[in-house]
Amino acid sequence: MESASIAAGHAAHDDHHGPPEANRSSRVEPQFLGMLLFIISEIMLFGAFFTAYFFIRVVAGDEWFPFDGLELPVGIAGVNTAILISSSFTMHWALEGARNENRRALCLGLLTTALLGLTFLTIQINEYVHLGFAISENAQTTIFYSLTGLHGAHVFVGLTLLTFATIRAFRGHFTAKEHRGVEVPGIYWHFVDVMWIFVYSTLYLL
Amino acid sequence: MLNPLRSEQEAFRFLIYVIVVVAVLLALVFIVRALV
Repeated sequence: MESASIAAGHAAHDDHHGPPEANRSSRVEPQFLGMLLFIISEIMLFGAFFTAYFFIRVVAGDEWFPFDGLELPVGIAGVNTAILISSSFTMHWALEGARNENRRALCLGLLTTALLGLTFLTIQINEYVHLGFAISENAQTTIFYSLTGLHGAHVFVGLTLLTFATIRAFRGHFTAKEHRGVEVPGIYWHFVDVMWIFVYSTLYLL
Repeated sequence: MLNPLRSEQEAFRFLIYVIVVVAVLLALVFIVRALV
């Protein structure tokens, strides 16, 4: 009897190699927990950049654009903001498509979101080319390029995720029950959009 | 309760709230600036 239980113990031991299995929460799925922790770290990263911005404007009380002949294209960036916000609506449309087993809405929604994101990034790069001042000019231009550049890098990451999701959607990988591959990039995309609203309103409007 | 990190739907709703709140705050700031 004893030898049988020892043998069973050995068999169980042989089945499992390496470190003990990680604990899994029963309330939140690992994919969502991963995105949640990632976004929390991202908020802290953006927070650090915003601290530099508010230091200049509130603590030091320095002037902000337009000054010394340096101007920001508020109108063009406003149109760009509208483009990015509309991409969140198409993202939501895509996910609703996935939920309702509407493959056309899913594919078109993802494709439109990616194209709108690409348009945003193209306009942003074009804006950089025509601004007429360098990142090294003064503290204000450094903050401007750093914050918009940090956000642009996030749009690029979002576009990469969207590209994967779009290819998978066209290949028919998602169903009404299983569409985490659309939902998780969607959360990230909305986060990038929320961040832009803060970046645009503080850098360009206030 | 709204948790924008739990699902895309709640993230989208959060985005809408942010747009509305930021628009109201901006409007207030511009009104105060115009009056001062």
